[in-house]
Amino acid sequence: MGSVDKEVELKNRKGFWRESLNPWLVRAKNNPERVAYVLHRVTGFIIIAFLLAHILETDSPVWTQYAPINGLTAWSAWSYIMHVESAWYLKIGEFIVAGSVFFHALNGFRLLLTEFFGVGIGKPVEPKPPYEAPTLSAPQRTWLYIVFVLSIVLWAFSAYLIFG
Amino acid sequence: MAGKASNIQLWQYITAIMLIFLLGYHLVQRLPWLYNVSTYDQTLTSAIVYHQYRVGGWALLLLAYVALFHGLNGVRNMLFELHQGRIYNTVINVLFWIVFIVFSIIATVTVAKLPPI
Amino acid sequence: MALDFEAATRIPPKMVKIRIRRYNPETKKMWWQEYEVHAHKGMTVLDALLYIKENIDHTLGVRYSCRMGLCGSCGMNINGTPMLACQTQIAQVASGGNPVITLEPLPSFPVVKDLITEFTSFFNKHKSVKPYLIRKDTEEQETPKGHLKMKPQEFIEIFQFSNCIFCGLCYAACPVTAADPEYLGPQALMYTFRYINDVRDEGHEERFAVVDSENGCHRCHFAATCSAVCPKAVDPAGAIQALRSKLFKYRLGFYRKKGSKPLPPPPEKGERKPLPPEAMLVPGANLEQLEKEKVVISLNNK
Repeated sequence: MGSVDKEVELKNRKGFWRESLNPWLVRAKNNPERVAYVLHRVTGFIIIAFLLAHILETDSPVWTQYAPINGLTAWSAWSYIMHVESAWYLKIGEFIVAGSVFFHALNGFRLLLTEFFGVGIGKPVEPKPPYEAPTLSAPQRTWLYIVFVLSIVLWAFSAYLIFG
Repeated sequence: MAGKASNIQLWQYITAIMLIFLLGYHLVQRLPWLYNVSTYDQTLTSAIVYHQYRVGGWALLLLAYVALFHGLNGVRNMLFELHQGRIYNTVINVLFWIVFIVFSIIATVTVAKLPPI
Repeated sequence: MALDFEAATRIPPKMVKIRIRRYNPETKKMWWQEYEVHAHKGMTVLDALLYIKENIDHTLGVRYSCRMGLCGSCGMNINGTPMLACQTQIAQVASGGNPVITLEPLPSFPVVKDLITEFTSFFNKHKSVKPYLIRKDTEEQETPKGHLKMKPQEFIEIFQFSNCIFCGLCYAACPVTAADPEYLGPQALMYTFRYINDVRDEGHEERFAVVDSENGCHRCHFAATCSAVCPKAVDPAGAIQALRSKLFKYRLGFYRKKGSKPLPPPPEKGERKPLPPEAMLVPGANLEQLEKEKVVISLNNK
């Protein structure tokens, strides 16, 4: 691509926010994959944010030996942190992370099958009216619905564990 | 380098498969009836957690490395989509390695230097 | 988007309001303009636009050519969905309750004027994946002596992808192209797969090198909107996933390319064989006489 084309293209682009929000702005019928795509990204961000915090949190028996919290060190500091985290509003955060993990894992497994192994996607056919793309009615669509249902079931189970 | 994009994506898939098993193991650790306790909160007491570190500390450490790579590489790829020039790409790559190495060290220290109860 | 047959049989609202995002390249101004159009049964969005251009406002810029979904010129965002204006019935996008149709130029493309978008980088990306048959034996390709063999099922494997009309709807709908201006896009990647899947082609190594880049097929995350909006069921989403799995196989050394050798040239024309006896004239019949005779065909046998 020539540099002039790129310049013209970049100059005519809409603002950063409008383009970043494109996954929500373009509407298409018969396309739950796009919902899955958006959710996969959002849940990924939630999980990586939680992971970084989680590593710091689980390291607390070690780092509190050098920087005690409320005068507590090592495992007593751990117990204190766990006590703080058992508050209901932090449990809601935990619940959201649990749902994100289930959806991300199950949908990731579907993506692994379709993208890496190339199974479950539509086989080329002779196109006939009304021109429906074969991938949209291929097994991956069924898997996607299973992913949605299964992650909701697992999420409900995690609610029972976390709040029960 | 030929095939670099494929190699990175391949590692993303390998770590994904590893995560399914490692994270499955980590989530099973929070099931209360495996430890003869009644609630989820009771699986987080220091005695049970210390025991879990002694038994499967290596798996948890591997989980931390793999999850960090998979997650940070995913974020890195998403940031690369917003092309902003060569300096931007370099900054993202450097940040990726810094965060990955720092948090890997923290995770290693957690397992290696865990104080006894 | 799959065709909506029933929409053509429905009666649209009598008066539709068409809201167009306009852009003037001379003043660099963007504004929304509304037009009211009398709709009739079977009227397409392109018909409405041409009505506006002829009777209300001739400064409206719109690109079209065939009016029947073959040329792929009139792609635009209709109520937020990339669609071909000529294939979209008014009754499909407007109803009595909501007679407003919002038209925008295709997203992810630079706007030239009003609804006309600039396709240069789209076609440059298409060009970058070498969309032509590559044979190792170029001399044979230049002066072919026989046909290249291809079975009917091998033809079906590429026929669907060859139906692409370059309308750019997939490119406009893709969430990744929206963020990443250098991403090759669904159309170019689909065409790569079309040629890699072609048994007659031998350039798969060159094409794999092109798509195995930072802006190549690994940018795709299977949102499948490209396939959902495609007017010809070309299915770029499935093609890109298949391309990736082939690329991984190739990188891991498991990929085997199906080949096709030129068939031997057809036999030279020999002596003409005599016709079988049942095809010969009845002995004694006079052809000239028969031609002069009046032919009477009676259906009632009277």
